[in-house]
Amino acid sequence: MKCEQISELLPDYLQGSLSPDQRHTVEAHLEQCADCSEEAALWKKLSLLPVDQPGPESRARFEAMLQAYQAGRSNQPEGGSEWRKRASAWNWNVLYWLRSPVGAMALGVGLLAIGVFTGLRLAGPKPPSPDFVAMQSELTSMKQLVVLSMLQQQSASARLEGVTWSTREQQLDPRVLSALLHTLRYDASVDVRLAALDALSRHGRQPQVLKGILDSLQQDQSPLVQVALIDLMLEWRDRDAAHRLQELEQTPNLNPTVRQRVEWAKGKLN
Amino acid sequence: MTLTPDEDLMLQVRDGAGETLGVLFDRYQTPLFNFYSKLTGDRALSEDLVQEVFLRILKYRQSYRPGTPFRAWIYQIARNARVDHFRKFPRQTALEPEMLPPVVPTDSAQEQQEVELLQRALGQLPEEKREILLLCRFQELKYEEIASLLGCELNTVRTRIHRALQELRKAFHQLAQGTMLRKAEAAGNIPPQGGRHEV
Repeated sequence: MKCEQISELLPDYLQGSLSPDQRHTVEAHLEQCADCSEEAALWKKLSLLPVDQPGPESRARFEAMLQAYQAGRSNQPEGGSEWRKRASAWNWNVLYWLRSPVGAMALGVGLLAIGVFTGLRLAGPKPPSPDFVAMQSELTSMKQLVVLSMLQQQSASARLEGVTWSTREQQLDPRVLSALLHTLRYDASVDVRLAALDALSRHGRQPQVLKGILDSLQQDQSPLVQVALIDLMLEWRDRDAAHRLQELEQTPNLNPTVRQRVEWAKGKLN
Repeated sequence: MTLTPDEDLMLQVRDGAGETLGVLFDRYQTPLFNFYSKLTGDRALSEDLVQEVFLRILKYRQSYRPGTPFRAWIYQIARNARVDHFRKFPRQTALEPEMLPPVVPTDSAQEQQEVELLQRALGQLPEEKREILLLCRFQELKYEEIASLLGCELNTVRTRIHRALQELRKAFHQLAQGTMLRKAEAAGNIPPQGGRHEV
């Protein structure tokens, strides 16, 4: 057997998942072929590479992060046991979800998408017709409607899902961007605000997004969100960033971790 | 005593038991740290990225669905965290051999030398080839899991692994030859007894 044929079997041979017959074939080849047998030998030697240990402070950092996170959550109106009840009551059963209006709408959008793409495939590689383009834009706006509707749900999990949905679209409707900015500013759940910030960070070139994010730096009370906002401002390197950080630093009773992050970010900006 | 499966622990974390994440941290911090340190050669950055992975798990815990293999899920998060980091802070230096961790001395000097060469050869591979070897050899992900992680077909994973191994063999050979040449040179430069005067 030639090397090319063996190469299809070699990775499975190395993981020990070949049938006995195939294994014998590979082994017979390895005895004759220096290159392939050397590759097999290198694979085995890879396991001899040293396992590097993280520093001893790594566990403590994790504990501190976890505590800060839980403390940040318990300050929220939705925090603590109420949140747990909600979270555990949230049923991910697909049928249950599809019975809800949001789920039904999502299912409708999904079916429409399947229809559009099947139609396109059957039609062959023709340039998209104006009808198709119109339908596609209608589909995009329907998806965005789903996002808008999910962002207004009672359950934090559903709102989080709504934010995640928004990240599947390259271009967002200004209404969805406004809804995400509203979520970033006023959502009671830290998780949802953090996810909204992640989603908005992809649209930083839009002036309304930039302004909304810079404004929330002064308003948000959660250290987790504040740190995430500082990181994003550092990433964007906006002209106004240094000035906003300066303002934040002057806030009385600023969380020490946030203050440290501001100092670090100012150092990086200079 | 059997260990609680990762998936069950993650479901507890999702349902609010944040402290259970500590068990998952203990299980995964060293493999994740090695994944990053062998990819980037940067210890401090690798530690930061491990922390970032666990923060993201907390942030996105409600998107974890029952039945999702936890190992594949956490490596998806780990890859995204790395991509996001290098998008924010583009790399200024390539992986240098001196950034690699020292090889623990073994009984055989030859084996130790080979492991050192292998480590350097791995460092010379393009990042995507190094990553696939690390994922299947160190992180022990199944090929199916790697396929879903990289968003490609199972056969593509096999081909990529084979190509990465081919390239590793070539890099290893070149380094081994270079080492032999240097040794031969060093041996040739040893002055014979009685001294030799260079003119």
